[in-house]
Amino acid sequence: MGTCFSTLQFRANRCDGCGDCMTACVQAKSSNGDGAQSRIRILPAAAGTGYELALCRQCADPICVMNCPSGALAKNGTSGIVEWEADACVNCLLCTAGCTYAGIVYEADIGHVTKCDLCAGDPACAKACKNGALEYRTEARIFNAYGDKEDLFCRGLSACHGCNSELLIRHTMRVVGPDAVVAAPPGCIPGMGVVGFNGQTGAKVPVFHSLLTNTATMLAGVKKQYDRVGRKVTAIALAGDGGAADAGFQSLSGAAERNDPILFVCVDNEGYMNTGMQSSGVTPYGSWTTTTPVGGAMHGKRTEAKNLPLIMTMHNCSYVATASTAFLEDYYAKLAKAIEAAATGMAYLHVYAPCPTGWRFPSSMTAEVCRMQVRTNFVALWEYDPHNGLQFTHAVDNPEPVENYLKLVGKYRHLSGEQVAHIQRSVDDKLAYLQQLTRADAHRRIA
Amino acid sequence: MSVAETESRSSNTARSAVCEGNEAAAIGVALARPDVVAVYPITPQSSLVEHLSQMIADGRLDADLLNVEGEHSVLCGLQGAALAGGRTFTATCGPGIAFMFEPYVRTPGLRLPMVASLVTRDMLTPQCVWGGQQDAMVVREAGWIQMHCETVQEILDTTVMAYKIAEHRDVMLPVNVCHDGNYLSFGVTRVEIPDARAAEEFLGPASINWHVALDPARPMGVDPLTGGSGGVGPKTFVRYRKGQCRGMQNALRVIRETHAAWGERFGRYHAPLIEEYRLDDAKYALITIGSMSGAAKDAVDTARAAGEAVGLVRVKTFRPFPVEAMTAALAKVERVGVIDRSVSFGWNAGPVYQETLGALYHTGRPVPAISFIGGLAGADLTAEHFARAIAITRELAWDGRPREPIWLNEND
Repeated sequence: MGTCFSTLQFRANRCDGCGDCMTACVQAKSSNGDGAQSRIRILPAAAGTGYELALCRQCADPICVMNCPSGALAKNGTSGIVEWEADACVNCLLCTAGCTYAGIVYEADIGHVTKCDLCAGDPACAKACKNGALEYRTEARIFNAYGDKEDLFCRGLSACHGCNSELLIRHTMRVVGPDAVVAAPPGCIPGMGVVGFNGQTGAKVPVFHSLLTNTATMLAGVKKQYDRVGRKVTAIALAGDGGAADAGFQSLSGAAERNDPILFVCVDNEGYMNTGMQSSGVTPYGSWTTTTPVGGAMHGKRTEAKNLPLIMTMHNCSYVATASTAFLEDYYAKLAKAIEAAATGMAYLHVYAPCPTGWRFPSSMTAEVCRMQVRTNFVALWEYDPHNGLQFTHAVDNPEPVENYLKLVGKYRHLSGEQVAHIQRSVDDKLAYLQQLTRADAHRRIA
Repeated sequence: MSVAETESRSSNTARSAVCEGNEAAAIGVALARPDVVAVYPITPQSSLVEHLSQMIADGRLDADLLNVEGEHSVLCGLQGAALAGGRTFTATCGPGIAFMFEPYVRTPGLRLPMVASLVTRDMLTPQCVWGGQQDAMVVREAGWIQMHCETVQEILDTTVMAYKIAEHRDVMLPVNVCHDGNYLSFGVTRVEIPDARAAEEFLGPASINWHVALDPARPMGVDPLTGGSGGVGPKTFVRYRKGQCRGMQNALRVIRETHAAWGERFGRYHAPLIEEYRLDDAKYALITIGSMSGAAKDAVDTARAAGEAVGLVRVKTFRPFPVEAMTAALAKVERVGVIDRSVSFGWNAGPVYQETLGALYHTGRPVPAISFIGGLAGADLTAEHFARAIAITRELAWDGRPREPIWLNEND
């Protein structure tokens, strides 16, 4: 696999043209006397509404570098930054002619070209953007760290278009590694062929098509025997919410109470998506499903989802966390802790898996739906261990209204204003409750 | 209950003890040296897993104890341990096996050679915590081997033998060692306990997961969907099912061989499939199963003393059903009365009766038969009940029509 680099991400739909990024850039660069113009420029969009960006893209195959006759421009193979060297530059400006992004321009005040250098990995512009339109994305290091590790699933898993579960389990197992036993209870994960035929299809590690009801305890038994004979094996469940929160709950609860040394990953798509979009115990209020339909007398699910990850913190788990595939770095940090915890105790990861097929949204929108779950606090990202208690890992201080999330997802299309208000209240209440817990745990840590 | 142990003078046994049936089972389990024991209490089985837990707590049994939150998890945890290569044990009964049913039906298909005691108890409802064999009969088509014991000693010996049978390469199926709740579970007698090393030698090393494993050293996908409703899917399924049936049929031979080897090694010969009692010159016979057989044999002796040509057949191995052995036994008599401790609702008769009719087909002649149902919900089956059964059986004549069952305890 090639090397991947951190980069600036621009979301035009969140940009209000305030110019704070440009001010920050000028301040950052003029302070060392190197230029007075911003290297990032926000311009009215050519289409007429909104804004667009003029900025060096740190191209993989940069035209500016190719055009440069003096060797003043070079792509840094470690950082990915296209670097400009003053001493070598002959001011021919051929680089500016090659760039279609207006990413390198001549600055008359200082007499040479300037371009974005990503502030050595801490770009001032992104920090200044209050709307989240500019974000410095560092997930690339994940691919650098794990891209060369063996993918422990064969090609050809048959997940639906846009499903993030396949992404999640491929990432997860690369990190967990081959000394593992996987259990996958009935649901989308075996449904996509994870329990295959001996390394020809599905998982390349030992994999068991467990029962919907028994995954945690079955794995506890596997682990017990390997502990007994002194072999290090990670016992990992890749389960849906039915296999965790509903029929699988007794087994999960028992294993958690015993702090059995297993890693249980619940891939929560808020219902029985594999069997045709039926409601589960973690289906949120108001959701359309095939068993909580919308009609004259019923307007989607009438009751709230149970908060399974929070319930898990009330057991004796060594580690519990929620995660979103839109925040992979957050997930990776949690996965590392979970793997470590699972060597001696129970680790539980609750990962949200918006389902394009069952929730009725375009398959290209999964990442955005994941992101909006977090940005509206519909999903809170936190972690828990008995020593540190509950802590947010990605607090969202100025959340968007939950309606902005709900309108992305077809299963909420029928919601009345009253129902939306109900969901907003519920989101606020649940967040307030989590905040109380984090405060209480913080006090406890200090004491 | 505590074991009263004494040094035995017998060269075949290291010691003897006075104990209840549940403890005898626990002693047998300890001799088999399981890796993982999963426990959950249910009457009348509870003292069995209590004994095992205490043995582990005392360090007398080097096994890992899995304390779980219900029978379902009991078996699931053990399936995991077995798939990782561990020898396992648990015990259950009645509503416990009903709750365990989902993983229970899966165990034979996985060909996991597990051993579990089934301390038979009548099934709900009406609510009942007492003995009866309805639980064993409900699961008779689940694919487990079932061996029903008559005595406390037989429980101990059969529990050890069960591992040898289950783990035999031609069998590879789970075994329920069944003993009657109350009468055997809490019945206290003297038992001979084999020397631990001799028992270990008898069993040999555990042979659990050579064929199916969750082991990173030899990764495999365990139990993928057989795929599609036509062609290779059902064809694969048939291969599995036929394999299970073959394993069951092989078990008939392996059970006989194992019982013979046990007799040679420890001096106690138990009937492996069926036990014929005073049958050779009998004109008619009772068929029994489990602990009732002792009182039934007494009743046969009494009737014999009065000149009656009656014999008895006790079914030890109920699954696989020993069709050939039963046919050979039934060929010796003119009339049979079958006594069940459970009910076949579909046949208005007892399950052992129903199975006996199947074996009778192979004798090639019409044999008058009648179903007696007794001992439900812990009711005692006494010599008087069997005397009545003998008297009724003696008078049977062939009329080709099904008979109403006789409910032996109906008027107790």
